[in-house]
Amino acid sequence: MPRYRMFYSKKGPARFNSHLDMVRTLERSMRRAGLPIAYSEGFNPHPRFSFAAPLPVGVEGLAEPFDVEMLEPVENNVIEEKLNAVLPDGIRVHGVATVPDNEPSLMSVLDRAKYIVHIDEEDLPFELPDSAVEDFLSLEHVEVLRKDKLRDIRPGILKIQKVQGDSGLTLNLELKAGSVINIRPEDALDALFKNAGIETDKEDFQITRTALST
Amino acid sequence: MSMDKKIEKALRRVQKPGRYAGGEWNAVRKDWVSTDLKMAFAFPDVYEVGMSHLGLQILYGLVNRRDDALMERVFAPWPDMEEQLRKMGLPLFSLESRRPLRDFDIVGFTLQYELSFTNILNMLDLGEIPLRSADRLAEEYPLVVAGGPCAFNPEPIAAFIDAFVIGEGEEAINDLLDTYHQWRMQGENKKQLLLRLAEIDGIYVPSLYEVQYNEKGEVKSITAKAGGVPAVVKKRAVDNLNAVFYPTRQIVPAIEAVHDRAMLEVQRGCTRGCRFCQAGVIYRPVREKDPETLLQQARETLACTGWGEISLTSLSTSDYSQVRPLIEELTKRHSADRINVSLPSLRVDAFSVDLAKEVQKVRRSSLTFAPEAGTQRLRDVINKGVTENDLMEAVTSAFRGGWQAIKLYFMIGLPTETGEDLEGIAKLARRVLERGREIVKSKGRLKVTVSVSSFVPKSHTVFQWEPQDSMEELRRKQEFLRRELRGRGLFFNWHDPEGSFLEAVLSRGDRRLCDAIEAAWRKGCRFDGWSEFFNLDRWLAAFDEVGIDPEKYAYRRYDYNDTLPWDHIGAGVNKKFLARDHRRAMAGEKTPDCRGGKCPGCGLCPSLEIKPRLAGGETIAPVQDVLQ
Ligand code: SF4
Repeated sequence: MPRYRMFYSKKGPARFNSHLDMVRTLERSMRRAGLPIAYSEGFNPHPRFSFAAPLPVGVEGLAEPFDVEMLEPVENNVIEEKLNAVLPDGIRVHGVATVPDNEPSLMSVLDRAKYIVHIDEEDLPFELPDSAVEDFLSLEHVEVLRKDKLRDIRPGILKIQKVQGDSGLTLNLELKAGSVINIRPEDALDALFKNAGIETDKEDFQITRTALST
Repeated sequence: MSMDKKIEKALRRVQKPGRYAGGEWNAVRKDWVSTDLKMAFAFPDVYEVGMSHLGLQILYGLVNRRDDALMERVFAPWPDMEEQLRKMGLPLFSLESRRPLRDFDIVGFTLQYELSFTNILNMLDLGEIPLRSADRLAEEYPLVVAGGPCAFNPEPIAAFIDAFVIGEGEEAINDLLDTYHQWRMQGENKKQLLLRLAEIDGIYVPSLYEVQYNEKGEVKSITAKAGGVPAVVKKRAVDNLNAVFYPTRQIVPAIEAVHDRAMLEVQRGCTRGCRFCQAGVIYRPVREKDPETLLQQARETLACTGWGEISLTSLSTSDYSQVRPLIEELTKRHSADRINVSLPSLRVDAFSVDLAKEVQKVRRSSLTFAPEAGTQRLRDVINKGVTENDLMEAVTSAFRGGWQAIKLYFMIGLPTETGEDLEGIAKLARRVLERGREIVKSKGRLKVTVSVSSFVPKSHTVFQWEPQDSMEELRRKQEFLRRELRGRGLFFNWHDPEGSFLEAVLSRGDRRLCDAIEAAWRKGCRFDGWSEFFNLDRWLAAFDEVGIDPEKYAYRRYDYNDTLPWDHIGAGVNKKFLARDHRRAMAGEKTPDCRGGKCPGCGLCPSLEIKPRLAGGETIAPVQDVLQ
């Protein structure tokens, strides 16, 4: 069965939907578009979708890849056009490619993710000094409590960089992602602020995942 | 901080922000400034419940279809969201334009169950609208209206609502909007608006009525205070459902709703005449839709929404005269698109199980039947036209068809109930289980669940005069059943009698309850229909504070001659018919279903000048009002 890889963005109101909501939304959208999606066999057939990594509730995504199988070939640009005509607010498809048969699954090749995180000025008690990022990255270990266990997330932090913006604070992050090590951007930032002695609330981090890559 | 920023901040801090985010497929967002009439549809429960409601989809479609009007949605915020709103000083806002509730011209609440009343107060308060109609006379405040089943006894919330729509909203909503528009063009004051509204068929303006009480403190009379205000407000009912608007562009919820599927209303009204059932009265007469209309609406709805399932909704879908051909045709036309057809409720008979077999290819879930009472005697008293034989045939067919789990619904505390009737429930359940053992191969999977709820007397029903059983009595009965229903394969579920008690108080109450409801809300009562939030003690303290004895409302037996607090609301059914049918009930006599062609004369058709409509073209001749 022909397999297609598309990249979608999830912004605005749609970013508050969970991954499962998103799966349902994509399925219904494809039905509205009249695309011949393939279903699994068995008791409870579900569409043959596969994702690289679920996007957490509240996080925007700019280029989230996912694969879908169809019963018959459809031209790439036709898929994109038809789908974009019926996707709800905030969700858009940007680019569709045909995936060769032997291509490994998205999840198995995922290695890292890039994020942009913004924090409003009023949510920051102090400005983050440039040196704070360097200080933080020079640490050998960064211990974070997750599910009652201390974990060292430092090896998963590949890059943190301050971006020049209008107001507030904007940071670029590159973190390990996938089934082996998966670092949450809010954990990395929380540790950064703690290290700099700045008190922030994780809920104020406005997170956008800009890319997932191998 | 701008309101938008604050909203974003709040949404990042609640468990399910999708409940308030909007932007779903088929949601309509019109230009706020250039649209003349702005109405909010306010559902006093959480998003997932509200989005499962067909009435919302109908009114939303109807209003947004008008060029001069818009309708946006607002649901009761879950306690975590309420906390955020209050903490940040944010008003409750609509999903589409994120406008505070107070900015709308009209706010319309739907009244699906009494235990949502405190949520109405909470939403008004969070929406920065004064709670009481009397405090909203300034023109800057929205007009607050309400409709739905609980509007048939509107009195307990009469102080909070400016106008009630009694009956079906399809036609009334346009009258309401037109009248509002004319009023605004004239530049009149709020009182004049209320007077204009009271002249519309089916609209009840409580502030224009005066209630008098007798020396015992019971309602003596309810009279109109002004000319042009009807003594009895008769419900609105659509004559031909084939000809009215049907929402095929149903909003597809972004987060999973309780009923997350396309809805196809096949008919409205039920003819069976169960004597406890309010829906059976208020949605009369039965009006079936034609299969052609339905097939067309099904096709459009599925194409516009992308849902993979379509539910044939109505009070009793197996009664729809064309149900079998309709299902066959739907399956034929849509099976290639993997559309599942579902039936919400099954009549207790083999025919209905056959329908379920047709639509449900996988038999993993359970089948539910509602015999309601445990003995034939009591089933005759409540006019539930079901025999033990019907039930045994139905479950036999279900077990043979591959189902292994059966759910049986019963009511306890019904008028005239005795120990024998309770034993009857257990006996029936055991008989069903035994039949299952004979047929089902994997005995370990066999499951018979008995689910009991408590009888709540409702306005406009044959049992409206009946008292509710005391909570102790109901608890004792539940305890008895729990003991009787022990054993492998048997399961027992029940509703807390506390909630049913409050429901009885609120559904038969009068205006004086408004103070109690407000006091309960001030004490923190919210989401009373949710067992994790319901707290009877808080309610009792509220009743105490305002000097009302709730037991008087739940446990009172009314006399046929008593003025009932809802006598001025006309469901179309003749009160004399209800009284006669009540006497028949006490004598254990059944009353025929008018679908069979024989009209027992409930008086509704002549009084509303409407007729039952069956899709096959058969006719029922309603008898003229014999009881006048
Ligand atoms: S008047 Fe007769 S036909 Fe009409 S709803 Fe009542 S019982 Fe049925």
